[in-house]
Amino acid sequence: MMSEHEKVVDGFRFMPPSLSAWIGKDIPDPPYSGEIAWTPLDKPLKETTFTLVTTAGISMKSDPPFDLEREKREPAWGDPSYRKIPRTATESDIEVSHLHINTGYIKEDINVMLPLTRFAEFEKEGVIGSLAPTCYSFYGFQMDATALLSESAPQMADQMRQENVEAVLLTPA
Amino acid sequence: MEAQGFATVTLTMTPEFQREVGIPRVAAIEYPYGRPVGQVHDREGQRQVLLAALSVFEEAKEPGQTFYLPFTWPEEPKHTDWQPPEISPIIKLHLDDIKALGAKLRKQK
Repeated sequence: MMSEHEKVVDGFRFMPPSLSAWIGKDIPDPPYSGEIAWTPLDKPLKETTFTLVTTAGISMKSDPPFDLEREKREPAWGDPSYRKIPRTATESDIEVSHLHINTGYIKEDINVMLPLTRFAEFEKEGVIGSLAPTCYSFYGFQMDATALLSESAPQMADQMRQENVEAVLLTPA
Repeated sequence: MEAQGFATVTLTMTPEFQREVGIPRVAAIEYPYGRPVGQVHDREGQRQVLLAALSVFEEAKEPGQTFYLPFTWPEEPKHTDWQPPEISPIIKLHLDDIKALGAKLRKQK
């Protein structure tokens, strides 16, 4: 169906050239040579429990939103916290806080970023085993990911373990 | 998350980051920022993207592979309106550098 070599995605196609050059300058030329973590998925998708994680700054209206005011004061800082998003959340339940993208589309249709409805359909159709009760959002602009990795990530992992999550689809903003 | 024992696929618009941060399984899609799964209310289009991303769980055999999804966004980049209404603080801070880079690029052409 798809090949590793047919279409090559240009990650900067939608950016103005000057911005692409500025962001791209820190990306090394050679391929990554360090170790990459790996957990094999040893069962069919239709028996697997999934959760969804996005970096788009989505929060339930009943929770505090991601802190954009502090980022405006400290441009190199990004909110390292995370939010739980129940699999039943709809557009009217959520707030979307992000200073680097137009958040309007997500507010019209949450699935463009966090495909809750699509995965619920896949579960019903037997494409996947199930969608876990809880999905997650954190905030993708992190020049220093230390707090995110040391505090938010383990808490998300614990909740995932409690819900028997086996696989995660990540959708960055 | 992968190190914590979960199998992951990252549906990303910027696979170039793979060179900077090793990502276990990458499903790369040439869609505008903010809408990796597809267009608003396009259920069928979203399903196709997601089924392709899910298949990467089955097709990836070793860490660090990138699978390019064959989907094409129907709009010209300049019409996609993906940027935030107000310039982000970090870009604002570095705007002079960015503009200088832009000017340099145009001179090279």
